[in-house]
Amino acid sequence: MISRVAEQSFWLHRYLERLEGTARLLDVNLTFLLDTDLPELARWHPILIASGEEERYAGVCGLDVPDDGERIQAYLVWDERTPVSMWNSLQFARDNARIVRDTISLETWTAINGAWIWLQSRDARRLYREDRHAFYAFVRESCQQILGVTTDTMLHDEPFDFMRMGMFLERAGQTIRILDIKYHSLGVTTREETAAEAAQWLAILRACSAVEPFFKRTAVSPTGPAVAEFLLLEPAFPRTVMHCVTRAWHFLRRIRSLSGDAEIGTTSVGHLQSLLRHLRGLSVERLLNRGIHRELLIILDRVALVSNAISADYFQANLGASVAHVES
Amino acid sequence: MTAPAAPAKPLFGSYRPLADAFDEFFTGDGAPRAEVEHVVSLLDRLGRDEFRVRMKLAEGVFLKQGVTFSVYGDEQGAERVFPFDLVPRTIGAGEWQQLQLGLEQRVRALNAFLSDIYGRQRILRDRVIPRRLVEGSRGWLREACGVRPAGDTYIHVAGIDLVRRPGGAFAVLEDNVRTPSGVSYVLENRSVMKRVFPRVFQHARVRAVDEYPGRLKEALLSLHAERSGGRLVILSPGPYNSAYFEHAFLARRMGCELAQGQDLFVERDHLYLKTTRGPERVDVIYRRIDDRFLDPETFNPDSALGVPGLWRAYAAGTVTIANAIGNGVADDKAVYPYVPKMIRYYLSEEPNLGQVETFLCSRPSERAHVLANLAQLVVKATDEAGGYGMLVGPRSTRKERTEMAERIKASPRQYIAQPLLELSTCPAWVQRGVAPRRVDLRPYVVTGRETWVLPGGLTRVALRRGSYVVNSSQGGGSKDTWVLDERS
Repeated sequence: MISRVAEQSFWLHRYLERLEGTARLLDVNLTFLLDTDLPELARWHPILIASGEEERYAGVCGLDVPDDGERIQAYLVWDERTPVSMWNSLQFARDNARIVRDTISLETWTAINGAWIWLQSRDARRLYREDRHAFYAFVRESCQQILGVTTDTMLHDEPFDFMRMGMFLERAGQTIRILDIKYHSLGVTTREETAAEAAQWLAILRACSAVEPFFKRTAVSPTGPAVAEFLLLEPAFPRTVMHCVTRAWHFLRRIRSLSGDAEIGTTSVGHLQSLLRHLRGLSVERLLNRGIHRELLIILDRVALVSNAISADYFQANLGASVAHVES
Repeated sequence: MTAPAAPAKPLFGSYRPLADAFDEFFTGDGAPRAEVEHVVSLLDRLGRDEFRVRMKLAEGVFLKQGVTFSVYGDEQGAERVFPFDLVPRTIGAGEWQQLQLGLEQRVRALNAFLSDIYGRQRILRDRVIPRRLVEGSRGWLREACGVRPAGDTYIHVAGIDLVRRPGGAFAVLEDNVRTPSGVSYVLENRSVMKRVFPRVFQHARVRAVDEYPGRLKEALLSLHAERSGGRLVILSPGPYNSAYFEHAFLARRMGCELAQGQDLFVERDHLYLKTTRGPERVDVIYRRIDDRFLDPETFNPDSALGVPGLWRAYAAGTVTIANAIGNGVADDKAVYPYVPKMIRYYLSEEPNLGQVETFLCSRPSERAHVLANLAQLVVKATDEAGGYGMLVGPRSTRKERTEMAERIKASPRQYIAQPLLELSTCPAWVQRGVAPRRVDLRPYVVTGRETWVLPGGLTRVALRRGSYVVNSSQGGGSKDTWVLDERS
């Protein structure tokens, strides 16, 4: 497939996953806050950090203003100046979908276009005002609908593989960011935890739709180490880092097997395999010894390396040199 | 659920055709025309209230499916839904058959003309068409002389704009043989019509238009038989182009890739696509970029849309480009008056289709006539399309006419003039009922080894009251075009 189209397909699904991730993050924070008595800024600030938007937000809105919760939500939902706002994620996804309109199915296009039309509507604003949870839920449902029709209405071929790979890499990053919220709001995790900490870990599980899966898999209560271990390493749950990276590896291998050229993709294969090895070598002991926060940053960097390598291998390949190779 | 036999408000109950124009549905005394009577009565029985409901439904479908176009001069990338009118323009089987013959004939002659002027130039040497006129055309491409496209096919896709004159005869208004657009709307309009009027549609016996993408693909690939499994890509200027929706639509329906200039490169006179598996050869390009922007190495060096070296690959015969490069000379509006002569010269036939009386401003006597009668004439730039650079005399201000006169005097070769045509009308929905609005028709003719005419085409309609300008960029909309089956 055309390299540019592969890149736009990859990003189309990254944006969609980012949209859903942001909706999860904001929604779960709303719920979590009911259980705590932290000051407003301390409640919402971690969300900004997790989104990588702390500095920009301080520049745009300033810190220490009253009603930070509303400001921060508006900033992450509607603000066109925020690169990762839900508004922008959906708009970028829709722009990419329009460009690769010949690659995606009619159903996928209609779903994405419909979601974008809705977000611009008065209905969306009203829902946001009147029932915030319902608003976030609606966005998540829209994303799930798009993913569902994509899987069920298009060829499971190279464009699809790039979409899925983009989605899983983005999701790995989102799960790591959600996990790291705990560090930014309540500090380092140790074996001894307060009630507030336990409540936050539960909220984090909820943000990942992982409460019931967690209890099905483990006999312990949701303490920091147990939740971190689950969301990082459980292979069978679709939002854990291990699962996402394994799936990304699966799709990368599929893409490689379609390509006749063994030279293409070696860098990304190297980075992805090394990330997988790294995850397989992790344990609760190691997490606590090194510190969960530090470990999360290491993994996040490695996910970024994989992403960059895929871009270099498939989207910006130096092609002039390889023509002779094709001709022979 | 059946439509009531006599609705309270029949759709055409208060419809009055204009006195001076041919109406597609009704004769002067208000009776439905025999060829379309069946469709008229099916629609009439729906009634106005029901029609309004379905109009709303159709609008929702267009918006949700994102059938949009962008308008130049708007903020970049702003998209609009193409205005659509739900009353189908309908053409009887017998009439269509005549039209089809005329269209095939015309495209054959235009193709022979291109092959000739970029080859032996018989028509110029025989002085049937002045050499100066041809070689002075902006579409003329000296470099194309001696380059033979596969199958000697220059015009793979033609969009021939027709109007119907007050007497009822169709006439060619202009030829589009470079990169005619609009066919995706024909197909999308049809799919919406089927959804909104399933019952009417079923009973009307309308000929299908769905084969177009398959026919086009077949035609393009037929020209590349020596390499089996030839790779076909569509080359688009990109998502900011007003017709991007159409480019993506065709790629999807033809099952080929949609490329932009940046996705292609030329190496040793071969064209390659940059793919995730490395470079891959391309054999046929259906391009939707103008000649001038196609290859910055040979033509406009500022073009970022094209592919450097594409011309070399084309001249070397390693790639088929549709439509061929250099076609602009054949749809130059100043060459248009000579098309009947071409038909006689190349085919030894009389033209089946009439065309519109045209004054060439390059000829002193005709120029004088044009300048003296600007207020009655329509002046068009010879190399513009889409209604740009045009003066509609009877609706112009004195200032506009003065400016146009200056432009004509400065570059007479660039302008032609025609009488203002009383375009035929067709009922169109306006707020509470239907009213006559001017329409034209663009049928599409596809040529590979053989020629095929899409049964239907894009009917454009001037939705503003009293307007004659049907271009979407100037307040026009479109209608579905129903060509009836013989059995109906």
